[in-house]
Amino acid sequence: MGYFLFRRTSGFILTLLSVSLVVFLVMNILPGDPTLSILGIESTEDARAVLRARLGLDAPLAERYVTWVFHALQGDFGDSYTHGVPVISLIVERLPMTLSLALSGMALTVLLALVLGITAASYHKRPGDWGVMLLSQLGIAVPAFWLSMLLVLLFAVKLRWLPPGGFPGWDDPRAAVRALILPTVALAVVQSAVLARVTRSSALEVMRLDFVRTARASGFSRRRILWGHVLPNALIPIITIVGLQFAGLVTGTIVIENVFYLPGLGRLLFQSISNRDFLTVQALVMMFAAIVVTANFLVDIAYVLIDPRLKARSR
Amino acid sequence: MIEVQNLSVRVGDTRAVRRVNLSIGAGERLGVVGESGSGKTMLALALMGMVPDGLTVDGVIRIDGNDLSRASETTWAAYRAQKIAMIFQEPMSALNPLRRIGDIVAEPLLVHQGISRNDARQKVLALFDETGIPDANRRLQQYPHQLSGGQRQRVLIALALACDPSLLIADEPTTALDANIALRITDLLVRLSRERQMALLFISHDLSAVSRTTEDLLVMYGGDIVERGKTRHLLASPSHPYTSGLLSARPRIEQNAGPRRLPTIPGTVPSLFDLPPGCRFAGRCDRELPICRATIPQPAATVSGGFASCHLLNQPSQDQTGQAPR
Amino acid sequence: MRRGAIPANLMVGGILVAMVIGVAFISTFWTPYPYAELDIANKFHGPSSAHLLGTDQLGRDVVSQLMAAAGNSMTVAVLAVLIGCSIGTALGLLASAKGGWVEEAIMRLCDLGFAFPALLFAIMLAAALGPSLPNVVIAIAFINIPIFARVARASANQVWTREYVYAARASGLGNLAISRDHILPNIAAPIIVQATIEFAVAILTEAALSYLGLGAQPPSPSWGRMLSEAQTLMYLAPQLAIYPGLCIVTAVLGFGLLGDGLRDITDPRLSRQRRG
Repeated sequence: MGYFLFRRTSGFILTLLSVSLVVFLVMNILPGDPTLSILGIESTEDARAVLRARLGLDAPLAERYVTWVFHALQGDFGDSYTHGVPVISLIVERLPMTLSLALSGMALTVLLALVLGITAASYHKRPGDWGVMLLSQLGIAVPAFWLSMLLVLLFAVKLRWLPPGGFPGWDDPRAAVRALILPTVALAVVQSAVLARVTRSSALEVMRLDFVRTARASGFSRRRILWGHVLPNALIPIITIVGLQFAGLVTGTIVIENVFYLPGLGRLLFQSISNRDFLTVQALVMMFAAIVVTANFLVDIAYVLIDPRLKARSR
Repeated sequence: MIEVQNLSVRVGDTRAVRRVNLSIGAGERLGVVGESGSGKTMLALALMGMVPDGLTVDGVIRIDGNDLSRASETTWAAYRAQKIAMIFQEPMSALNPLRRIGDIVAEPLLVHQGISRNDARQKVLALFDETGIPDANRRLQQYPHQLSGGQRQRVLIALALACDPSLLIADEPTTALDANIALRITDLLVRLSRERQMALLFISHDLSAVSRTTEDLLVMYGGDIVERGKTRHLLASPSHPYTSGLLSARPRIEQNAGPRRLPTIPGTVPSLFDLPPGCRFAGRCDRELPICRATIPQPAATVSGGFASCHLLNQPSQDQTGQAPR
Repeated sequence: MRRGAIPANLMVGGILVAMVIGVAFISTFWTPYPYAELDIANKFHGPSSAHLLGTDQLGRDVVSQLMAAAGNSMTVAVLAVLIGCSIGTALGLLASAKGGWVEEAIMRLCDLGFAFPALLFAIMLAAALGPSLPNVVIAIAFINIPIFARVARASANQVWTREYVYAARASGLGNLAISRDHILPNIAAPIIVQATIEFAVAILTEAALSYLGLGAQPPSPSWGRMLSEAQTLMYLAPQLAIYPGLCIVTAVLGFGLLGDGLRDITDPRLSRQRRG
């Protein structure tokens, strides 16, 4: 177990470093002088040189990369050019928004997917199964931002049940939850469409195994067998996809935040792109990539916790 | 305890099990032999109310006097494990790999009897003791993959016995095991049946396991019961050509006189969808009569004191069999 | 499934794809009106014989815009998947042929690629290079490279163990020639299936990026951008928020079903599982 953890952890750190290198290179060696885009074409060479020095752009590339990584490790991503405050404080301020959206989205995704997937599997080759499959095929094809707009049209514009966008803050929890409902649904429907299919096929595989027959012979109810015996054994492929989907979910929040005008990291990313606040963009892209890599890492470790057979092998 | 009349399992008009009658009383041990595809597993599943989707069960299944032939899935579930229990061929895969042995065996106790965790634990330890699982306290914490095949079969038996069933169905319980371990499992089943006054239905293709375990025997072929009788007499003087074939196809250690071709029954069990209209053994039988392909034979008394469904028994002229009743 | 019968998903997918590609092709030489032609006097018209789906906030014909947008969407998807597929398959073949540290290095690089969801990578490129459709193509192509490299390597590794490959090697053929003449034709099926599915993903990604303003720039029409314009007019003209979305769903559903259907008929192992 110890060796396994060590190997996975070192791999994880290596991937994070490589990701940081890619982000840094894309943001720094591609054509385009950030000072030019910040100050405009009419700016003088002198003014640009001053700004370049201030942003630390005059040092050699390798040195700048090392400085960036070391500072980032201490939570220092530099100062935001537009906001005039440290980038990290912007991130800390907006993180709760994105996190609440991502987590509620994930929770609804898993809930919907497990219920739909297990239902489909238990009605295998009957209308219940076809219905779920058709629904998921559609869910995969619907862009999340369009679904958001349809939800807003129906629930905010026509029925006026829920707000069309914006976020009042957590001071008023009721209003905050109401503001999160539509974004969460929009985020979860698309993701759970994929996950429901995985759940279904994985559950179908497991339902053919002998121990399910043993459980039936023990006189357990259909529900107990499905949720207590089949589902735990079907979880490994499901967790793999959940891990991969977390990536989709996190990038999904970028889009959804912009549809619903939610002041999270995704919205900040877009504002920073249009403000050419490239230190903030660089930090945010790195953050999102790091979240994805971390999710994949946690999935790898989760396998071992679920399956005692793997635990034995990984020792 | 259990009584079955005219039991058939069919897909549309195709019968996997055809008009089977049997009854087992408390503490009695009945064997069913036949090649794979003879319908014996389907018979067992029918007695558990567990035939796969798409198959229909006709006839009467009475357990403790209650007719279950029209019972709902819920009713069946209530009978399973508490009245009738079943163990399977593959002890390797028949246990949930993610659960500890102790939790697996305790689950029916907790679910069906609603006893406390602590009581369940005591009961599991007692069951382990009864089924000969050594080092019971440590086993509770182990996972199925940490046990040998024989130990897993014992765990399955302990699980089946958890709610004190009055009938235990064992479907090829020894097939996947080494010969000496298989012997111990069959002996265990016999002992449990005696001690608990539990009916045992022992299904196997292995005649030596059947002869060691059971008192009465059914021989199945193509979904029909072709011969029945007291195990000892039936195996000593088989009447149906299929039973004879099974017996001579059995490897014998005492005949170990150099390399020898094992006699086999020629051909294979016919597909359910391709059955002869008369005797289902027609075509593979070495003593076939013209009537065999056309007419289904009726059961007739045999020299072993049982019954067999074979036209030979009604043909006194075929005296080379020496078995036809006068 | 009957032998020789066309599975339903393949048929429905094929019809939808043929429709979308047909419209995209026609739009290159004919649309009812020039898609960018303004006619402010006739803005927000409902459906009529002159404008089948009405006009938008600037009086532009909606049908013409949807058709031209189909062209854009298909072009982006074709280019991006083609580039990503070619480079990725080449890398996968190379990894499989060379083995050893080359294979290891290529596969680790691919792992790195998976750290960037397509949308994030495209956002990063747009931030560095500025928003434009070519940058969307580059971003989607880039994300496709590791996907195809993995599929190609996994399939090629199986083919390398076949007898006819041993025979080819015994006859003195080099790795390159074997890869081209024997491996590539035999891994074409899984690659094509993957390409069809990635095509659907590419359409979705392009739409999302254009919606966010990082893809097609005005006046270049795009379903995604039409939706972002419609969003601001949701109270005024909700119908404008419907049509482009339906187009996206049709195209994505079509390629998705087509990919599923192709996989069912080319991968007997998978389809047998499904039947079982």
